[in-house]
Amino acid sequence: MNPAILAIVVIFTPLVAFATAMLFCMKAHRIAQGLILGGGAVSVVGAFLLLLGGPSETQSIVWLSSGSLELSFGFMFDGLSLSFGAVVALITFLVQVYSIGYMHHDPAKTRYFALLGLFGWAMLGFVYAVDLLQALIFWELVGLASFFLIGFWYEKPSASAAARKAFLLTRIGDTGLLIGILLIINISGMAHIPALLDAETGLTTMVSEGTLTLLVLLIFMGIMGKSAQFPLHTWLPDAMEGPTPVSALLHSATMVAAGVFLFARLHPLFMASETAILVVLCIAIFTALMSATIAMVETDLKKVLAYSSIGQLAFMLAALAAGGLLAGILHLILHAVFKALLFLCAGSYIHHFETNDMREIGRRGGRRMRWTTAGLVIGGASLAGLPPLAGFFSKEEVLASLSHGGYHLIWFLALFAAFLTAYYTFRMVFFIILPDRPLEADATVHDSSPVILGPIIFLTIATVLGGLILGPLAAILLLDVPHHSLLSMLPAILCALAGVFVAWWDFGRSRATRRGFVGAVPVLHRLFSRKWYVDDVYQAVFARFIQLMATVLHRVEVDLLDGGADRLADVTRWTGGWTARLQSGWVQAYIASGVVVVALAGYFLGSR
Amino acid sequence: MSLSAFLLVSLVLFSAGLVAIMSRRNLVTILVGIELMLNAASINFMAFNYYTAVDPVVGQIIVLVIIGLAAAEVAIFLSILMVLYRARHDVDVEEIREIRG
Repeated sequence: MNPAILAIVVIFTPLVAFATAMLFCMKAHRIAQGLILGGGAVSVVGAFLLLLGGPSETQSIVWLSSGSLELSFGFMFDGLSLSFGAVVALITFLVQVYSIGYMHHDPAKTRYFALLGLFGWAMLGFVYAVDLLQALIFWELVGLASFFLIGFWYEKPSASAAARKAFLLTRIGDTGLLIGILLIINISGMAHIPALLDAETGLTTMVSEGTLTLLVLLIFMGIMGKSAQFPLHTWLPDAMEGPTPVSALLHSATMVAAGVFLFARLHPLFMASETAILVVLCIAIFTALMSATIAMVETDLKKVLAYSSIGQLAFMLAALAAGGLLAGILHLILHAVFKALLFLCAGSYIHHFETNDMREIGRRGGRRMRWTTAGLVIGGASLAGLPPLAGFFSKEEVLASLSHGGYHLIWFLALFAAFLTAYYTFRMVFFIILPDRPLEADATVHDSSPVILGPIIFLTIATVLGGLILGPLAAILLLDVPHHSLLSMLPAILCALAGVFVAWWDFGRSRATRRGFVGAVPVLHRLFSRKWYVDDVYQAVFARFIQLMATVLHRVEVDLLDGGADRLADVTRWTGGWTARLQSGWVQAYIASGVVVVALAGYFLGSR
Repeated sequence: MSLSAFLLVSLVLFSAGLVAIMSRRNLVTILVGIELMLNAASINFMAFNYYTAVDPVVGQIIVLVIIGLAAAEVAIFLSILMVLYRARHDVDVEEIREIRG
């Protein structure tokens, strides 16, 4: 079948399902649910058919032409789009299945499922997009859909505030992205991605390195917002206000992945600028360390996972910036799998215990939910980078690409971040499986329904076997599979094991203090638990400045504009009141004034 | 008899009418004042018509119009007066001040 037709089916089926559900099924929850799941299933089948068909020519039509500028609309069928498109479709579908169980009692189910469809459409459209502007449109739609879903329980003030925060912070980045794209169109006269990336005639041959650095850094602003890198990362932990399946979707295959995906898509442009590479590496490694340290002291299960997402996204960006295209994409895909798994497990606990505090989940018998706990342990081990799970392979590739690129300091810091990742991940695992007091014989703890467990089990298997995709992925991306000796893998394995051991020492063994080693340094502990004061600084500087401006503008409106209009009205009314007194109702006075007027008129007209 | 004699008569009549309108409060007296003023104007027209006009027909037509107008006016005035009297049992202009501002 023509891949373009297949791509249209893959991308637009969720949109049709979304529109139908929104327009006609507001009351019929089951039909809406079926529609969205059906659309998701069609997308999965289509995306995998595309993937099996292998890379083929880009197909696009001219969508808008003005002068010499031509904007196109179409689809790319290279290895990157095909592989990641399949992952997006699959994980979206699994989350939809999971949501049947998770959102079972929610009265606004139709809206929820419809928005999942919208989300799927936006992300798939972005992944296959061939034109920068087309990509931007879907990029913004992804942001819009996540705004709706984060604020799904909009009656909660914290949820709607989180949705606004996510939207505004990504918007700051998107402003840079928009300016960057407009500048690229202005300079090169095209927005066709393959043409821009062409080594002989593309953007790199048209501009000086300084200009290119500016352009890619503007684009990187958008990536920082979307992929939650410092200093625009603060929306991601707050986005935990949404339903947990949404977090699973947001943190794995969609939204945050869009930023990394754009980086991978425009990889040759970034590679042409040394400065941009350094900036990206510095931001990424700082973000990785910062998020890992915050996750070390966090007790909210979902927030630990949120900070781990920030850290893993930073790893991907660092790998891509160091030239490891395969490593970055591999980590993007495998992270999508095991992070979705972790969030779905977290959702299973939260659905049962109705709390986000992992200590409480552990105490109330979280480990008795056997399948969920198995998923959590395997997902956690994968996040920590323990062999032979998916995360081990991708993290190993990331670290190898850093060391091959010659960034030894960054490599060392990344190893440290990997150690911290293993530490906080197993802190979370030990909190849940080894609670600090013995469980009471509570018979009510039972595992979740099959519709929740199904996606968890599927993703657990995928996490165990994920490392196998390395070869096929390299083949479809037309890259070589790097070979690493056991010796070069040793530091990463040792770091992960050390992290697990320290976590066991601090939280797992029977006489553990359960405070963690940062607890010994109160200053650091306070810094980490206040999230490095980033939110406080934003609150103190930007929020207060804007509030001040709002106050001033409010006074201007009330006093100057409203007040001015009020004074004008007062004067008019006062004048009216005075002139109304002339209407005395005294007929003779009217006649007298008439006579006087006629006499005066006669006098003046006669004397002329 | 000269033109000025006629004009003097009409001036006296007009002034009497004006005084009646301005000083009396009874609506009937005011009506009489208005009639006096209209007739003073008619006398003026006829006087100028007789002494100075090239074609006397124009002045006569105007006077006839004034008489017709005065008749119509009296009819309307008196009917309003009747309604007013029925409603308020009073025809004093000082008392009828309902649309005072």
